[in-house]
Amino acid sequence: MAKIILDNIAHTYEPNASNPIFALKEMSLSWADGGRYALLGPSGCGKTTMLNIMSGLVNPSHGKVFFDEREVTSMITEERNIAQVFQFPVIYGTMTVFENLAFPLKCRQFPEDQIERKVKEVAEILNLQDYLNNRAKGLTADQKQLISLGRGLVREDVAAILMDEPLTVIDPDLKFRLRRKLKEINDKYKTTLIYVTHDQNEAMTFADNIIVMDQGEVVQAGSPKDLFERPQTTFVGYFIGSPAMNLYKCSASSKNEISIGVNSFKVQTNINNFKSENLKLGIRSEYITVENEHSDNSLEADVIEVEDFGNYKLITASFDSFKIKAKVKRELDIPSEKVILKLPAEHCCIYEDNKLI
Amino acid sequence: MPKLYTFLKYFFVVLWACFVIAPFLWAISTSFKDFNSVTGGATYIPWLQFEPTLDGWSVLFKPGSQGGINIIGPYFNSIFVTLTASLISIVLGTLAAYALSRYTFKAGIVKNNDITFFFISQRIMPPVVLSIPFFIFLSSLGLLDSLAGLILVYIVLLMPIAVWIMVDFFNRVPREIDETALIDGCNPFQAFFKVVLPNSVPGMLVAGLFCIIFGWIDFFFAFILTFTKVQLLPVKIVALNSSITPWWSLSAAALVSVAPLIIVAFIVERYLSKGNLSGALK
Repeated sequence: MAKIILDNIAHTYEPNASNPIFALKEMSLSWADGGRYALLGPSGCGKTTMLNIMSGLVNPSHGKVFFDEREVTSMITEERNIAQVFQFPVIYGTMTVFENLAFPLKCRQFPEDQIERKVKEVAEILNLQDYLNNRAKGLTADQKQLISLGRGLVREDVAAILMDEPLTVIDPDLKFRLRRKLKEINDKYKTTLIYVTHDQNEAMTFADNIIVMDQGEVVQAGSPKDLFERPQTTFVGYFIGSPAMNLYKCSASSKNEISIGVNSFKVQTNINNFKSENLKLGIRSEYITVENEHSDNSLEADVIEVEDFGNYKLITASFDSFKIKAKVKRELDIPSEKVILKLPAEHCCIYEDNKLI
Repeated sequence: MPKLYTFLKYFFVVLWACFVIAPFLWAISTSFKDFNSVTGGATYIPWLQFEPTLDGWSVLFKPGSQGGINIIGPYFNSIFVTLTASLISIVLGTLAAYALSRYTFKAGIVKNNDITFFFISQRIMPPVVLSIPFFIFLSSLGLLDSLAGLILVYIVLLMPIAVWIMVDFFNRVPREIDETALIDGCNPFQAFFKVVLPNSVPGMLVAGLFCIIFGWIDFFFAFILTFTKVQLLPVKIVALNSSITPWWSLSAAALVSVAPLIIVAFIVERYLSKGNLSGALK
């Protein structure tokens, strides 16, 4: 196990091109030993490239990789002692489940009794104990993915287990149980887990720390709470949360006040020194409340739609030419035409050039 | 509708089966006939319509001094040359194909696809173009009229087939399998031999089947590059022909020579289905 440090890492798949496109733009990042991370971002944002750089499948065109103090940038994959699980199950079709799980230990010449003990232990965790003598090829897709996962778990000394959207092929119920199992494994063995996903719920429920990426850049790293409450960019605000953050182009009217069309709102951000014309107000639909009377920071909106999701209601309304979404308690009666919505100042985030002020 | 579909399906399958099996039945029947039975109009049922005889078959095993051609030696020569050349072609072809599928080669404008095409282009050339170079080449090595010489030439002819089939096979094998093996602790060679190769057996069997077919049926090079010391089956069978075409012994020879291919095809047939070729790993 080790702390993984990416030092000024950048990567392009066309290093000799005159104007190369970077799959990963220059960044420095460190992953604490024993941490539980989620790497979140849309498809093609560089998540897999980052994982492959850590595992050694890709040599970064710029920068260095360290495991603790040891530089591993040019070290080959098999020497890095990393486990990686891919999106689709990769099994050794000619081997049995036992042989599949034992393979990483056999490659590292562990003694037979230790291999047997460890394989049985991992098979138990993954509910594969009844299939140990079966051919891996004949199992279902989720069982095959469990085998892939198991091959990562049999080695206790791995620097980290990197998982590239590993639960895509697994049914929702098992997905939930597996995520919990992974958390247990992380708690028990203190193995660093890095989990790549484009599903924010998966990231939020799994990780202590989430790294959000977009277009080859890390746009924010922090706890699920940080990401939800104080998104550092409008992209994070839009990408994290369901529904996405309400974002409106606005202008500053005084030190702590902004206006959207004819409506003015107090904010807790000092916006005196802003330079750009590109100013936006962002607020989560969870923090918008329905009021009976007008007060500070309230606005009157026309109700377009009220959706009942069972545990909450989602109001879609419009004011001026903008749309606003508010998530409210299910028990609340929503007027059918006009509604007064309040945007609490403490939850209003102001973005200048799409970055949080 | 489904009943009609099933009926039509079986009707065409039976029709096709008859079409495929009829020449074999005809050859079997002819191989047990004599001159009079063959030339005296179409007959089908032995003992009732014609008197079966083993003359056609015995010619194949009698020595030349007794008017036969004795195919036993050439038969084993053919088996030895075809199997050895196919095996070497598969081994070398699989290694070449893996490299072409997984690594990027670049020499000027020549890239992986061009190298693969270069291999296949060897089969595009008419054999007659190669006959003189091969003749001079084997002659200078002292390998004319020898099994080793034939094996060498057949490897050149069969390896493109192996490379072509295996490149396509490896391209359909996800790279993640190699990467997983590396992550699990293999070096690139171990990843290939321990993980990729065992999973590639279906592809290799299919490539092997094609190599065996093309090696077994070759007449041209066996005829040009051998004389008296070494003879292969196709060349020997041609020696049967005379002013009166001996249909009975030609039929027997045809059956004997096609038998190994049928056996190999039956063994490899289940690997020919697409699912087995592509789904070996996932």
